[in-house]
Amino acid sequence: DSHIQYERVGADVTMKCGSMDWDAAVTWTANGTDIDESHLNGSYLVLKNVDLSQSGQYSCYEGSSWHLKYQTSLRVGTPPKEPVLMCRSNNYPKGFYCSWHLPTPTYIPNTFNISVIHGTKDMVCEKDATPKNRCHIRYLQLFSTVKYKVTLTVTNPLGKNFTTLTFDEFAIVKPDPPESVVAKPVPNNPRRLEVSWQNPSSWPDPESFPLKFFLRYRPLILDQWQHVELSDGTSHTITDAYAGKEYIIQVAAKDNDIGTWSDWSVAVHATPWTEEPKHLTTEAQITETTSASTSSFMAPPTTKICDKGAVVGSGAVAVCWTAGLVVAAYSVLFI
Amino acid sequence: MAAADSPSTALQRRDLCSRGIRLAGKMRADVVDLLDAYVEQQGLDASASMAVVEGVPLAAVERWDEQTGTQRLLENLAAYRAFRALLAQMLEEQREQLGEADTGLGRALAAVLLQVSAFAYHLEELLRLESRGIPGEEEEEEDGPPPPPRLSLFEQKLRGLGVLRELAQWAVRSARDLRQLAKPSPATGTAPGLAENP
Repeated sequence: DSHIQYERVGADVTMKCGSMDWDAAVTWTANGTDIDESHLNGSYLVLKNVDLSQSGQYSCYEGSSWHLKYQTSLRVGTPPKEPVLMCRSNNYPKGFYCSWHLPTPTYIPNTFNISVIHGTKDMVCEKDATPKNRCHIRYLQLFSTVKYKVTLTVTNPLGKNFTTLTFDEFAIVKPDPPESVVAKPVPNNPRRLEVSWQNPSSWPDPESFPLKFFLRYRPLILDQWQHVELSDGTSHTITDAYAGKEYIIQVAAKDNDIGTWSDWSVAVHATPWTEEPKHLTTEAQITETTSASTSSFMAPPTTKICDKGAVVGSGAVAVCWTAGLVVAAYSVLFI
Repeated sequence: MAAADSPSTALQRRDLCSRGIRLAGKMRADVVDLLDAYVEQQGLDASASMAVVEGVPLAAVERWDEQTGTQRLLENLAAYRAFRALLAQMLEEQREQLGEADTGLGRALAAVLLQVSAFAYHLEELLRLESRGIPGEEEEEEDGPPPPPRLSLFEQKLRGLGVLRELAQWAVRSARDLRQLAKPSPATGTAPGLAENP
């Protein structure tokens, strides 16, 4: 007859050898290894201040016959601490999901029970196949001021605990981050980067429930982000990028009217367009100016033609003429 | 009878819807500010759960996505007409409590009342566009509702809280309703649900 026995970490455990008398001669094993007699009190096995490593299969054999008289699986663990519960609607207005976990492991099996009440109405939170610690609910009503109350109870053989969340429909709306963020240089524009992205695929109806977006970008070499909030559209052109610098760019989303901002999207990197340094191969005298953090080249005084958008100057404004065209002056800030 | 929209009707509807959405957005922002001021001034607990306040149109709706355009417009219109009366009453009660003193709260209430009236009118415009009869203001009930009993000061404050909370919800719902209305129907070109139901 096999048993399972759950005990708290630190407890003193006494195991009886089935129906054997106290003074019977027995041998105890733990996971097949004989246990020293010092742990015995008669035929009882006494384990003091048990720890996790003492979990295992304990067997008791009668004296000389070695008949198995009793077997138990000892599982050392802890009662559950207050669980951590989170509810969120990333697919508004379809519904919301709740997910949970324990702040510390119990080392023994736990059962989770979730109840959702909306006003006086009980709602069913359908458990997801994966991940296991998650369930979802469809909204039966929209635009309700009545709060939802979600109670999660966790039970294991050593105890029980619970937590409750109360929230209203709008407060938990948080879309997933935008997807497929792409940043590209713009040809012949050394200070521009074209960024585009898509609505998160989990957001069911962006037409009726439009999202707004927040873009942040910075050159890799700086810590300070620049931010742009966009009330519509899924693209934006950065026009003040530092020439030649690699940028890191991220986008976040939020329902236009309610809820909170999504997490930031996966970061993308891009460097604005720079002209190919063709002049290095010509016979003209090229002065290549470099500094610790940037590289640019200065067109030689004898050069008559330079491409539109060529970057010139070292902190100074210069004008570059091409046949028939006036090229706008740039000032390039050195970092 | 389901008639396809003329291009000008479709354009007018889209235009009215866009303006309505902007109105609703501004109204919501102002109601939320008013709610904060009201809670503070009246010494109320903003997070308190409240029982349903009688006479306040609830924004909560089941099967919202299945509503027809006409239903949306009619429900919105009924709600904002009710809010117009409720806010006027709140303003009156404010004046009774504080005399004719021109208070910030009073002015904010009056401003929201104006927006609510404007929005109700906007909804009537949309209904006119659909050649829908606009329901009369006084519902022809067989027995009109009895005059509401005089509320205590505290009950007045609580009702005011309920009114503003529901109005804030309605402002969000209205923007969503108008976006649904503004969507062109794929087959006929009419807005979804504005064709007469058989």
